[in-house]
Amino acid sequence: MNTLKNKMNKYVKQTEFWVFLIILVLSLIIQGRSGAFFANNNLVDIARSMICPSIYAICALLAFVSTGPDVSFPLIAALSSYISIMIAYKTNFDGPWFVIFLVGMVFGALMGALNGFIIVKYKFPSLIVTLGTSSIFSGILLGAFEAERMDLPETLQRFGKLTLLAVKNEKTGLGSSLPMTFLILVVLYIIAYLILNYTLVGRGVYAIGGDEISAERAGFSVGKIRFGIFVINGMIAAIAGLSYSVMSMRYLPTEYAGGEMVVIAAIILGGTRLTGGVGTLKGCILGTLLLTMVTNSLILVGISVYWQKVFIGGIIIIGTAIPALQTYLNKKKKEVKAGEAA
Amino acid sequence: MKRIRKIDDNVFRLIIILITFLLIAGITKGGTFMKPSIFQTMGKQLAEYGLMSIGCGICMISGGIDLSCVYIANLCGIIAGLSMQKSGSSIIVAILISLLVGAACGAFNGFLVSYLRIPAMLATLGSYQLFQGISVVLSGGSSVSGIPDTYTSLGTLTIIGIPFAFIMFLLVVLIMTFIMSKTTFGTKVYLVGTNAKCAIFAGIKNNTIIIKTYMLSGLIAAVAGLLSLARINSAKADFGTSYTMQCILIAVLGGVNPNGGFGSIPGIAIAVLILQMLSSYLNTFPDISNYYRDLIWGVALIGVLIINFVINKKKTARLAKMS
Repeated sequence: MNTLKNKMNKYVKQTEFWVFLIILVLSLIIQGRSGAFFANNNLVDIARSMICPSIYAICALLAFVSTGPDVSFPLIAALSSYISIMIAYKTNFDGPWFVIFLVGMVFGALMGALNGFIIVKYKFPSLIVTLGTSSIFSGILLGAFEAERMDLPETLQRFGKLTLLAVKNEKTGLGSSLPMTFLILVVLYIIAYLILNYTLVGRGVYAIGGDEISAERAGFSVGKIRFGIFVINGMIAAIAGLSYSVMSMRYLPTEYAGGEMVVIAAIILGGTRLTGGVGTLKGCILGTLLLTMVTNSLILVGISVYWQKVFIGGIIIIGTAIPALQTYLNKKKKEVKAGEAA
Repeated sequence: MKRIRKIDDNVFRLIIILITFLLIAGITKGGTFMKPSIFQTMGKQLAEYGLMSIGCGICMISGGIDLSCVYIANLCGIIAGLSMQKSGSSIIVAILISLLVGAACGAFNGFLVSYLRIPAMLATLGSYQLFQGISVVLSGGSSVSGIPDTYTSLGTLTIIGIPFAFIMFLLVVLIMTFIMSKTTFGTKVYLVGTNAKCAIFAGIKNNTIIIKTYMLSGLIAAVAGLLSLARINSAKADFGTSYTMQCILIAVLGGVNPNGGFGSIPGIAIAVLILQMLSSYLNTFPDISNYYRDLIWGVALIGVLIINFVINKKKTARLAKMS
């Protein structure tokens, strides 16, 4: 009984719990007002639009937990998927789809390595460095390569047409399908979960974000882990980028940029701390789900799409103000207690 | 005294870059580049993002960042445009309203950052969505046009050959330079940015200073929004979204330390001039795509960071040797 209570207490203290509660309440409200939220096609639609932001969310989480904001992932995604698709065209490649993904990941890793090198070597703030590199990548993509909208190679098109699950709403006749890329998302999250929680390197990611000096004394190689994270971020971004183009069946170079802000907002809502060291994959999924729900379902309640951004902005501000205030008040309480003890 | 000397160093370096660049441009593209008409277009173009860079720059000096300035500018432009449509005669009232809105938006940012203790990057990230959302709601998602001619004539007005927008930019630069380097408020902003805890112990009300800083940034953004309303004769909720990044970039190029505490307004102003010249110069080559500008700006940003890093390292090494 006691342990159950303890467990409950532990859950209630987590940001993830509150986000989950908000999601629950919001979905019930939407269901109550429109009766269409729990319809099968709506749920599949939400799952579908969550795929890319959730993959990006892993990048943002790794960067925030260990170092600081990374805003370059949308452009790494755009550039690496462009290069890999072009290579597929030039070589008339028609093999399995994952080869193209692997090629993209190699280029993504190279771009991530550039970020990692500058951040580790010169210790500049990661926000500024990744802003700079994403400007460079955008220049290479649109200036040097003059990337334009184009169709995908055959093999990727075939992959895009595969569906994992297709549903049809009996009442409205609206159908929706879940693409195979959803599996990529699931696999990535399982791998990330295992590495972050059960390996030394994974714990090191949290350690160097929590306290760099302590982590170094404990034997973690701060520079190497940081560099590795940015390389892996590049690879994950490449996967997200290719998944995005597979899902939209075309390569759209200008659709990538600008996605970073919403993803960052989502993971912060999910409890990732800006100062580093704290953040979970569960929170990433929940935060992304909340924002996707708001963007997808406002229209179901009869709120015009014009209000979308107002709602997202409001949620971000309220969602970040509460934890920020909480930590501040806790710190103050502790200080008072420490003062009394002394 | 020492701090002022150090800033001068940086400004000096920027001026040298500017002059070298002018020389290169003059030699390679003498006839087509060194024309008054090109300088006039430059003056018109740089004013808007130049102003926003200054706003973003002072927030960075105070230890924060302002990602919302572009959207504040758009919101103010839309509000000014709408109120001019409704009451055609009272242009001055419309301008005043939009300046007030800008200051209020900025103060809201400042409130989030100071009293609610949300990290500045996140607070302005949220508020930019909010401001953009409000702009979309107000404008109905389309662009606001039908601006009275008397107002749009400001966009083409030149005084002894200098565009009006550029004069406004210079004016704001002068005022902000005065505020940041000659008033106690400016010194306090630098102190809050260098070390917030020290500032509290020095008796500074950090929250008030931060709110005022963001309010100034919002006000400057409103001026930028009004100028762009005059220049392009309409206002839209998603106009100039790429400026956000450029503003941070310019501020850093101008010598502002992203961690707060260092930087100067003249430095930012010269960085604006350099970047505008660079992009106008590139425009004179017809076969170079405009997108190369992004590439060059990114390289410039990281290059300048690294150069500053190396110079500072050498300086500290020298100081260590002396002592």
